[in-house]
Amino acid sequence: MMDPAEVEFIAEKQMVEIVPNFNFDRVYLISGEIGPFRAGLPVKVPIWMAINLRQRQKCRILVPDWMDVEKLEQAKEDESASRYFTKMPSEHYMAEAQLILSACGEDVPRADEIRTALKDLWDMRMSKLRSSVDTFIKTGGTHARLDHLTLMEMNSVRPLLPHALDQLHRLSTVRFVFSPLVNSSSCFDMHISILYYCFWC
Amino acid sequence: MDVDLELEDSDNEETITAQSVLAKLEEAWMNEKFSPEILPHRTEIVDCMLEQIHQMEENLNKLKKSDFRVVIHRMELDRIRYIITSYLRSRLEKIELYTSHILEMESKRPVEERYLSPAEYKFAQEHQSHLENHFETVVLRHMPYNIRTLDKATMSVAPNLFSQVFLRANKTVNGVIVETGVEGAEEEVELDGNSQHIIQYKAIAELVKSGSVQLI
Amino acid sequence: MPLLRSYTPHYFSIDDIMATQERLPCKFEVDVLRLGEYCRNQAKIIMSNTTALKVAKKSFLDPSSDDEDIKTGTTLELPYWLARALCNRNRSIVSVNIPRIYKEAYREILKAEASVVDLHRLCVYFYEFGSYLSGFNHRDSTEIGNLLVQCFKDRFRLIMDWAQNSSGDTSGSGRGAGSDPTARLDNLERGLLITGRSSWEALEAWLSQGGGRPIGPANMVVNHQKRQLANASVS
Repeated sequence: MMDPAEVEFIAEKQMVEIVPNFNFDRVYLISGEIGPFRAGLPVKVPIWMAINLRQRQKCRILVPDWMDVEKLEQAKEDESASRYFTKMPSEHYMAEAQLILSACGEDVPRADEIRTALKDLWDMRMSKLRSSVDTFIKTGGTHARLDHLTLMEMNSVRPLLPHALDQLHRLSTVRFVFSPLVNSSSCFDMHISILYYCFWC
Repeated sequence: MDVDLELEDSDNEETITAQSVLAKLEEAWMNEKFSPEILPHRTEIVDCMLEQIHQMEENLNKLKKSDFRVVIHRMELDRIRYIITSYLRSRLEKIELYTSHILEMESKRPVEERYLSPAEYKFAQEHQSHLENHFETVVLRHMPYNIRTLDKATMSVAPNLFSQVFLRANKTVNGVIVETGVEGAEEEVELDGNSQHIIQYKAIAELVKSGSVQLI
Repeated sequence: MPLLRSYTPHYFSIDDIMATQERLPCKFEVDVLRLGEYCRNQAKIIMSNTTALKVAKKSFLDPSSDDEDIKTGTTLELPYWLARALCNRNRSIVSVNIPRIYKEAYREILKAEASVVDLHRLCVYFYEFGSYLSGFNHRDSTEIGNLLVQCFKDRFRLIMDWAQNSSGDTSGSGRGAGSDPTARLDNLERGLLITGRSSWEALEAWLSQGGGRPIGPANMVVNHQKRQLANASVS
């Protein structure tokens, strides 16, 4: 299982644009090349690095294009109109937003409106997810396609959904007493042998 | 500070970058986290990354402390270390839970195709013998004579391969058979490339091991 | 985060042991001799108080009878594990009856209104025990199997709602203050609720606290540190 912090860990690898206030040549990370850094010019770095640099006052984070109130309102409308899940502007939209807004919320114009729009979108999708899950279980639940669902949203129904499906599968598989039980707590023959032993002692 | 590796892959002599090894490590980590059974070990990837970390730390020691790159590199190393330890911990957890079952499965495989690394195999065997000794000294010694043996077959705990998992298909796969559990009925499912699904593990176990799907 | 397995019965599973301890009515098809004799000897060995000696005089399996033997036709409530051992392909010392909570009358109630039934009161291990029961070759077996599946599906929405209720208020179903609806859940459902709720609370905490918090240390690491600390203080 995963907790939200781990989903965030994965989301932190996403790239975001920053504007550094220093100059530096390319940095060769194990995960790839970053830079070069030229003061005042935008450069793409992973979010984890962006947050660290921002905390050390070495850069300004540029909010991604999609984190814009109008665009989010449009996304909400699209989501509401569609029966299925629509594709989100980022695979980790909620985690990225949380990370970026926590790190530099005060720099971002209309941050509160962005937060509200995002929360509305999230709530809408979560509500859709809840009813999909309920329908899925009610109709037997062997397999489902979940395109465009982000990892954090998927993780919100973990472990409830997979475990419930597992139980449903177990209950649907009838155990016949005439076939040997493989996974069973008590060894039935052992109990009988205890009784026999006690008879003859 | 060039960390481009020139690793010779014994199979096809390509040069592999550290970046791609890291990506493979992350895939292995996620797969191991969500798979109910233990997967084939990727010790070569782990060892490679540990080597990378070691080299990077040596390089970092040569830099001045005030160099801003030091913090960045250290953060990255911490991240990679976290993935490695989490990966190994998932595996150890499964070995501890399913010791008997895993050892039994391993004994049926040729040594080159073992799922456990040599160190893990040793750990599993020791764990098994510790457990048996423990049961012997604490319980079995005091039991009546005819029920003093451990019946490994009934007592081994096996993973539930019908557990449901989330996955992303890396490429299109057809003809995945799902057992619905109702009177042995089966369903055939298609996985389109890049689609996400929730499905029982047993149906896609081989696909996970071959890399066609990624557990998420 | 550690591996979180869904409940699967296995040799060491306590829930499974408890579920197979549930009793069902069995009718003896043959005379079973000398269980009273056994009881007297055994009681002296196992127990050592006067109450035990009183019990020893009665039949082992049937405390209400004073006979040494159990006669054909006697109906007793036996735990599932014993009933199964006595009624299978190799032996048919008893024939089993389905407990009343899985019979027609209760089945109809559950089909109609599964979500309001107090499963905990009916049987703590309703699903597990029912699942084992449906493995007997009884005329109602398939019906019971279907009932369990239907019941689970009908009640799942409740579990999901309670697990994802962020205020933690479980008395929202209007049954009055002080009544905890989750007390009506069977053991299996309760397990789902607990794991579901803890993961939901983690998510809510993350949503409200914002990003960038560190991942907590693993249990294994914390336990190891505690052990080291304990060893250091002992030595």
